[in-house]
Amino acid sequence: MSALIHLPVFGLALTLSAYLLSLWLYQRLGRPGLLSPVLVTVVIVAAVLQATGLPYAEYLEQVTVLTLLLGPATVALALPLLRNGRALASSAPAVLATLAVGGAVSVAITVAAMTAFGAGEDMLLAALPRSVTSPVGLSIAEILGASVPLAVVLTLISGVLGAVVGPALLTLARVRDERARGFAIGLTSHGIGTSRVLSESTVAGGWSSAAMVMNALIMTVVLPIVAGIVAG
Amino acid sequence: MSRAAALPPVLLGLVVLLLAQMAGLAVSALLGLPIPGVVLGIVLLVVLGLLRPTRAVLRVADPAATPLLAHLQLLFVPPGVGIILELRSLAQNALPIALAVGGSFVVTLLVAGWLLQALLRRQDRRRQERGGAAA
Repeated sequence: MSALIHLPVFGLALTLSAYLLSLWLYQRLGRPGLLSPVLVTVVIVAAVLQATGLPYAEYLEQVTVLTLLLGPATVALALPLLRNGRALASSAPAVLATLAVGGAVSVAITVAAMTAFGAGEDMLLAALPRSVTSPVGLSIAEILGASVPLAVVLTLISGVLGAVVGPALLTLARVRDERARGFAIGLTSHGIGTSRVLSESTVAGGWSSAAMVMNALIMTVVLPIVAGIVAG
Repeated sequence: MSRAAALPPVLLGLVVLLLAQMAGLAVSALLGLPIPGVVLGIVLLVVLGLLRPTRAVLRVADPAATPLLAHLQLLFVPPGVGIILELRSLAQNALPIALAVGGSFVVTLLVAGWLLQALLRRQDRRRQERGGAAA
């Protein structure tokens, strides 16, 4: 067993099998938002590392391929933005106002809750990019000097929250316009929420993915400034 | 075009994405910008896609971009697993984190949903009035 886990291919084999298993489970159980495949995969892989004693640093080295692909995959986010940009451009004032207000509310509540309850500065920094789509959120966390794993997990949790309760909450709040529904979910729950609203309607999905990418672009500029103010 | 068509489309698309990423990283490093290179890469591709002469670049990138985006979440498993190193500090700060993440999620979702719905409704109404006056 110990010879097996130190093989250079172990990490990749483990990660891909765990991902396929989570996907299968997800489809089998009727796509429950709570069992988001990425979250289940993280739990399985983390459990295997704990059980076998394979150090995280060594695992990370074994799955370099995946980490490398993150760059081009992030750049590819330009495509959904271009595809859905036309519809949004005709409503630019409404969209920009919502982005600004939504972003300000999100950052203000995060900072307020973290400082009011005495969480450390490192926690606050990791929580800041939580509504930003993970690839960009990860780069922002690096620039802020925050813990990347923590930032990634908080982002994933946000996404799962959005997929599980987002649509129901919006219905409860009588937000019926599918453009507004998609946009609100994309703004708060990025890719995981987007894939959920895509099953609702393609219009909502398009607005959601555009909101996700625009929010990421804006937060890249805004969050380092906010971090400078709160941490400085 | 006929020569390009003979090349494997997925690899060709991947090279376009990698070049855009490298250009973004280079600009970010050379100018010392506090913006991640990958974000500049996104901006570069969006600009290329908006300009007519370079629009074809996006079509070339598509065969690689589509599968990568479809399984984007798989790529977050490695950084996500790093949470096992942070479990203690996560547990210590469970309450503020839950409030910050949950609270900002719920409030932002509702504010953004209400606001955009109201703004779009007003915009649609205005356009209808203008359309009616013109007709």
